[in-house]
Amino acid sequence: MIVTERNTAGARGLGANRWMVARPWLATAARLGLAAVWLVAGGSKIGDLAASGRAVNAYQIFPYDLSVVIGAALPFVEIALGLILLVGLATRLAAGISAFLLVIFIAGIASAWARGLSIDCGCFGSGGDLAAGKDPTYGTEVLRDLGFLVLAGFLLVWPRTPISMDAALSRNTGEGDSDD
Amino acid sequence: MTDRGKKPQRRPARVVREQMARERRRKRTLWTSVGAVLVLVVAGLIGWAVSASQDAGDFTPPGGANSDGTGIVLGSGPVNIDVYEDFICPICRQFEQQAGGTLDQLIAQGKVRVTYHPVAFLNRFSSTEYSTRSSAASGCAAQSGKFREYAKALFDRQPPEGSAGLNDDELVNVATSVGLAGDSFAACVRENTFEKWTEHVTEEASRAGVNGTPTVLVAGKQVQASAEAITAAVAAAG
Repeated sequence: MIVTERNTAGARGLGANRWMVARPWLATAARLGLAAVWLVAGGSKIGDLAASGRAVNAYQIFPYDLSVVIGAALPFVEIALGLILLVGLATRLAAGISAFLLVIFIAGIASAWARGLSIDCGCFGSGGDLAAGKDPTYGTEVLRDLGFLVLAGFLLVWPRTPISMDAALSRNTGEGDSDD
Repeated sequence: MTDRGKKPQRRPARVVREQMARERRRKRTLWTSVGAVLVLVVAGLIGWAVSASQDAGDFTPPGGANSDGTGIVLGSGPVNIDVYEDFICPICRQFEQQAGGTLDQLIAQGKVRVTYHPVAFLNRFSSTEYSTRSSAASGCAAQSGKFREYAKALFDRQPPEGSAGLNDDELVNVATSVGLAGDSFAACVRENTFEKWTEHVTEEASRAGVNGTPTVLVAGKQVQASAEAITAAVAAAG
């Protein structure tokens, strides 16, 4: 009886221990994964800013001139966000901004879906009206963005990663280990 | 006595140290956050500036263009038709094959006034911005009054999406095949004379809410891009 109890307690301790060991690396994977998403998303649009503006315009949410500005600024912001996550600076904030952007994107796609528009989301380049006979893939696009949202959520809760600017800075100021 | 005196002293010292560490952490979080937000704002402003510097600006429309310079006009019938096409768009080619003849007939019968808008939506589908170059070349053809002939020939010789597209020499050869004389057309193509015009056509199409090609409007209303739909809409409007 006593032996069994000890074993379970030990196993439970081991499980918690494993989680503590794995967590920073899971966070690292989430951080780099989300960084890659933003870098690819921005990189696929930055070569043709006019097309990016047209992709925003195709949602028929903003007036054309505002769509052009959003379409031009967005790829640069996405790449900057990707770089910030890549180096691991202000990770929790970057994750929060990522989640905010993703929620807006999901809302935009859902709104296009609800209004019966037939457009490409323009998430990774492209965008605009779909050719006649082509069905939009709003469901897949929303699910994909929800997947990215999970990565951002993980980083919002557990932003600490061992190899990052945040970690380097906290070592420099001699703060030791603590969650912030 | 000494022990009891030391302990309470040590504790406050640790509390102070912890407080200072918390303060440093708070400051670090604040400054890294400010830095990250600044980077994002500057990035967005750069994008805005780059796009503003790419603005079409002054353009010269080719001969045969409408008064706004947003397209080339054929026919003078009572019903207005707008056709938005990109020379690399495969469905535009299909549309030309299926409905091009019908439009020519409607024009010849004096029923319609067709404005062709050669937009450059699909530059990302060629490595040489073929959409822009071919549209600008069609402006050169319009200048010589052969927009339609040249446009049809371009659709016949349409390069596949993802290729380099036709080069300038090939664009000139296509023109020769529809009877456009050499030198001035070649110079017009090589100097990208109507590139700014193409940008204007494209931008105004987007402003008008056209987000894809082919898009066909009959009397200002979008119809399916097919001969039957156009004929029916023209009959209804006329």
